[in-house]
This record gives sequence, structure tokens and C-alpha cells, in this order.
Amino acid sequence: MILAATMLPESISCVDNAIARFRRGEPDALDAVIPEYQFRLYRFLLRLVQEPALAEDLFQQTWVRVIENASRYKAHYRFESWLFSIARNLAIDHFRRMRNVSIDAPDERGDAPVERMAAPDRDPLDSVLDFERGSILAAALGELPVIHREVLALRFEEGMSLGEIAEVAGIPLSTVKSRLQRALENLRERVGTRLSPGGRS
Amino acid sequence: MNSHESICKLVTLAAADALSHEEMSRVEQHAETCPECRRELEVLRLYSRGLRELTPPVAPAGLLQRTRARLEQERAARAERRWHDLTLSLLALFSWASGIVFWVAARFVTGEVWKVFGTNVAVFGTWSLLCAVLVWTTAGVAVVVLRNRSESARRIL
Repeated sequence: MILAATMLPESISCVDNAIARFRRGEPDALDAVIPEYQFRLYRFLLRLVQEPALAEDLFQQTWVRVIENASRYKAHYRFESWLFSIARNLAIDHFRRMRNVSIDAPDERGDAPVERMAAPDRDPLDSVLDFERGSILAAALGELPVIHREVLALRFEEGMSLGEIAEVAGIPLSTVKSRLQRALENLRERVGTRLSPGGRS
Repeated sequence: MNSHESICKLVTLAAADALSHEEMSRVEQHAETCPECRRELEVLRLYSRGLRELTPPVAPAGLLQRTRARLEQERAARAERRWHDLTLSLLALFSWASGIVFWVAARFVTGEVWKVFGTNVAVFGTWSLLCAVLVWTTAGVAVVVLRNRSESARRIL
């Protein structure tokens, strides 16, 4: 699992310790936590905003917000969910400011159904995994609306449970489920478009 | 809605491991006998696996150092703001205290009549109003000056 790959057991206890100190009102304790989350948080933000420089800026802003809001951090709230929800909200604020679009409204494209399959008995993803492992999938993921990228990144890259995703995104569990379902279907459509004759791949 | 249709709606979530044990068993049992749903489940599981195994983007070199530097800068700015707040509060307190002391002394010296532009400022209400205007004007100027100093210091950094 990704979490296990990025956080070794000894570092987890170290993080727990630092978070406990942070809860007791020692903001400096976060210096030990930042390295543990740097790759996951940066990856999540990059998936959302898709611009490395902006992702880095939001990454830094997230930690600034964490310190500023340390007094509001509730002990019963999981640190990870809290951290990712701050990052998520900063990214959403950015989109609202820059593009003036409603991010929370699910993307209901009125597109005609696309031709999904390059060959009738073979799903396009079979080819993707065999030949261009992940690259087309990543590109298709990048085309999805931000709320779909968010739910897929949290579920599959961060390995979060549906309850944790609901906490991070601030939405009901039922919405997480429907959003996850729609996101996967949408992704499949996009991969199909890329692999169909005349597609972008 | 028949069993096949109701299970079809769950296949995507089953591929994402987002169903309860009971729902998952229902989907898997149905998939054993339904080639269409089985194929759908297999394909969507490929997507799930593909997403889990996506190559993670590389964090830029020096990200940690730059983040720590920014946090240090923010901490310094917060400490400076706290110091400014404290300074301003003390100045305001000092201004009010000295204003009252001066008022008492002025009343004693002038015999309770001290006219400025035809107004007797030795009256407590008038004097308080005058002090308030002076104190808040001074505080406002101080805030602007301190903020400008902080901004120029930040620009230099």
C-alpha cells in the first residue's frame, strides 16, 4: 500500500509523537512531520492543480495554515484528514479565485457517448497496462474535473477510506460513493477516447 | 429493477473496494454467473490497479528547505505582529494615563477653566474626547508606519 511505502513504522511513531506535541501547543513539532507528508501532500496537490510551481506554493501555504490554525485543531480529528482538507480547501479557493467556476457542482458534461473500445473484446486499459503503463491513465486523470481527480487521488493514491475522504472533502459518505463511481466511469471514457482511432494518444 | 441491473450499479464501487462485505459478496456471486458483469468488474479493477500503481510525481528538489524557510518567515512575521500589537497597546495605555494625569494637573494649575479655541477643555467629557481623537489618530499613524516598515523588510528578504 502507498501509505506503507511512504511511511515506515518507526517514522509513523515519530510522526504520532510530533503530532501529540503539536496538539499540546508546540508548533515547532511540525518540523518533524513535514518530511513525512511532503511526497503525499505534494502529489495530492499536484493532482488537483496540475502545475508544479502552484502545487509547491499551495504545499507551503498548507503548512502555514496548519500552524496558524493549530489552536483550532481538535484532538478527535485525524491529523491526516485535517491536513489534506486544508490543502484541498486551498486548492479549491485557488480555482474559485482564478477561474470563477463552481468546483463543488459535479461536472455534468453533455457530451455524446464516446467510442470506448479500440477492439470489441479488449478494453483499452488492457493495452495501456501492457504498453504504456500508466502514462495514458495519468493523462486521462489530468483531464477529469477537479472533484473527480480529488476523489480518485484520495482513494487510490492516498489509500484513504470513504469515511476519510468524506472528512477531507467535507461531503456526505453517499456523495463520496457517487462521486467515486462517476469519476471512475469518466476516467474510463477518457482513456477510451485517447485510445480510440483518431484519439489524442 | 432486476438483480442484474441492481448489481450492475454496484460494479464500479466493487472495483474500487468501496462496498460493504455483504454488497461485495452479492456482486461477486452474481459475477460468477454473469459474464457481462464479470468482464466489467475485471476491467474496472484494472483501472483501480492502474490508479494505485501510477508513477508518483517527483517532489521538486529543495521543497522541504523552501517550506521551512517560508514557515520561519511566517513565524517571524507573526512574532513581529504580536510585538507591534503589544507596543501599540502599551502606547495607547500610556497615552490615556498621561492624558488623565495631564488633565488633573491642568485643572489644578488653571483653576478648572482652560480654554482652547473658546472651548473649556478642563471639563472631563471634552478632555476625554480630545484625548480619544489624539490617541486613535496617533495609533492609526503608528499602525501604518509599522506595517510599511514590515512590508519593506519582507521585500528585502
